Amino acid sequence: MLLQKAKKINEEPKMTKTIFVVDDEEDIRESVKTLLEKNGYNVITAENGDDCLNKLKKVTPDLILLDIMMPGMPISDVVKNITDIKIAFMSVVRISDARKKGLTSQDNIVDFLQKPFNVTDLIDRVELHLSN
Amino acid sequence: LIKPSGGTKKIKKRDGEKINLKNILLSKLNRKITILFYLVGLICPTLAIIFFYTVIINSFSESLSPEISNLLAQITITMIVLMAVITGLIGFIISKNISNPIQKLYNATRKIEKGEFDIKLDIKTGDELEELAAAFNSTAATLARLEVERKEMDAAKTEFLSITSHELRSPMTPMKAQLQMMEEGYFGKINKKQKESIRIITRNADRLDNIIADFLEISRIEAARLKFNFRETDLVETIKETAEFMQCFANEKKIKIVVNSDGIPKIQADPDRISQVLRNLINNAIKFSPEQSKIEVDARLEKNHVMFSVKDCGIGLTPENQIRIFEPFYQVENVNRRKHGGTGLGLAICRGIVESQKGKIWVESKEDFGSKFYFTFPLEPVRKIEPIKVLFSERGIVNRKIKKEFQLELGPLGESEFEELKSKNSINKDDLFQYIDFLVREYILPAESGDSFKNRVSKIFGDEKEKGIINDKTDNVYKQ
Repeated sequence: MLLQKAKKINEEPKMTKTIFVVDDEEDIRESVKTLLEKNGYNVITAENGDDCLNKLKKVTPDLILLDIMMPGMPISDVVKNITDIKIAFMSVVRISDARKKGLTSQDNIVDFLQKPFNVTDLIDRVELHLSN
Repeated sequence: LIKPSGGTKKIKKRDGEKINLKNILLSKLNRKITILFYLVGLICPTLAIIFFYTVIINSFSESLSPEISNLLAQITITMIVLMAVITGLIGFIISKNISNPIQKLYNATRKIEKGEFDIKLDIKTGDELEELAAAFNSTAATLARLEVERKEMDAAKTEFLSITSHELRSPMTPMKAQLQMMEEGYFGKINKKQKESIRIITRNADRLDNIIADFLEISRIEAARLKFNFRETDLVETIKETAEFMQCFANEKKIKIVVNSDGIPKIQADPDRISQVLRNLINNAIKFSPEQSKIEVDARLEKNHVMFSVKDCGIGLTPENQIRIFEPFYQVENVNRRKHGGTGLGLAICRGIVESQKGKIWVESKEDFGSKFYFTFPLEPVRKIEPIKVLFSERGIVNRKIKKEFQLELGPLGESEFEELKSKNSINKDDLFQYIDFLVREYILPAESGDSFKNRVSKIFGDEKEKGIINDKTDNVYKQ
């Protein structure tokens, strides 16, 4: 798998956790990045599924915030290639339970975040997933 | 001259063996033409024969032996009978030839009335009827094209609504995130004035976002894409949870939400949708209730549905508002309107959700005393969701037409009866039929008026008239 090949750059004991924000909209990426950095997280970003998988070859984040609707590679394919990093989906559309079930067949999918989000809620949820 | 009419009766009976409306209607034409033939082809020769017979009998009355005179009488009668049979037959065949194409045209017209436009009439009579059929075919083709266009427009409207709502919603995410960060001092301390300004922007951004979210919901309802997740549901639990959730908001006005939902069995339903409707109604109730009042949430098991109700002791609604309140964007004019906020789409969405499940939603209210909203959900879920027109409903036109029928049928009483039914949200075919049956049963309307009333009602709803009539007929048979 991709992740076995991933070179671990951050080998030194890390105090700050890394969050990977994947969204095709720059303003959302930057907003979430600012928010998380201000809360003491290390943030990297990608703008689509391919970009995301490429960057994962070099870094291993603690949590991926993944937009569910992006141009390019279908989201289900992206998710299949990520097996041992926690993923939280972000979506502007309310996702039906049926579709959630379809997507949560992998147990590394931990959350569905509804956009637009309340920043306090977002931080709380991220903290929760990182502490588990 | 009695025999011929006996003949037509026979023909009619044979023709009417497969008794249905069209044949009964058309046999009139058959009969008319056949009678015409009898008049021309039978009566005139008969008169002539009788005239000659009398002349012969009278002229040679002495020289004719009784046998010949008898024979003459027999020949005369046989000739008349023969002519009756032949003219009857010819008349019937010719009338059939004329009435067949007319029957075809009639059937085709009924099809068009039902919205089936794929009609190709094949009438080759080489006369005006053929031309009529050709004109009919091209009219049907035009109608079919218009229908396709109408459907496309309708789909485009829903699609447009859905796409624009999505597109409008995506900028909300960074906007709201940045605003909130600013307000919470992520980018340095802000002064009071700045904080106030940000709060106003945020409040309006939220409002905009709510409207967009509601639009999305409506586009789903209209496109029959509304998702229901049916599962075994303990409604008592659902109602309790919803009420508890809403109690937090009610606390601000020291309002108490009282629930009474005993004896509701577990049913197949989507608790989230039921809760969504309840939240909406309770939210409205809180908005329009005075402080320290009570809101009652009830659920009751009825024949094949559960009836929910939310009662408040608020400002109540005028009769006009009771009806219009389910229209999109209709908000009750009120000094506190700004304060109440809201998108004006909440109840329209509730109506969409409830009607998607073939339920009903209505309100009973008295000004200054409060309102009671009712809605029903079926015990058996409706899995095949049909599109419901929420934004541009044809309801207004239908209501106007129905009201007119009421006034025609019931006179001055009609208007108040109509308003009463309307306030119960009963202006739909089933309820109106029930109501008309009731009128007939109570001898307020004679049975025939009841039937024609029903027909006109179903016509307004654009249904096949024929089905209605046949049903009514069978109903009558059972009654007798």
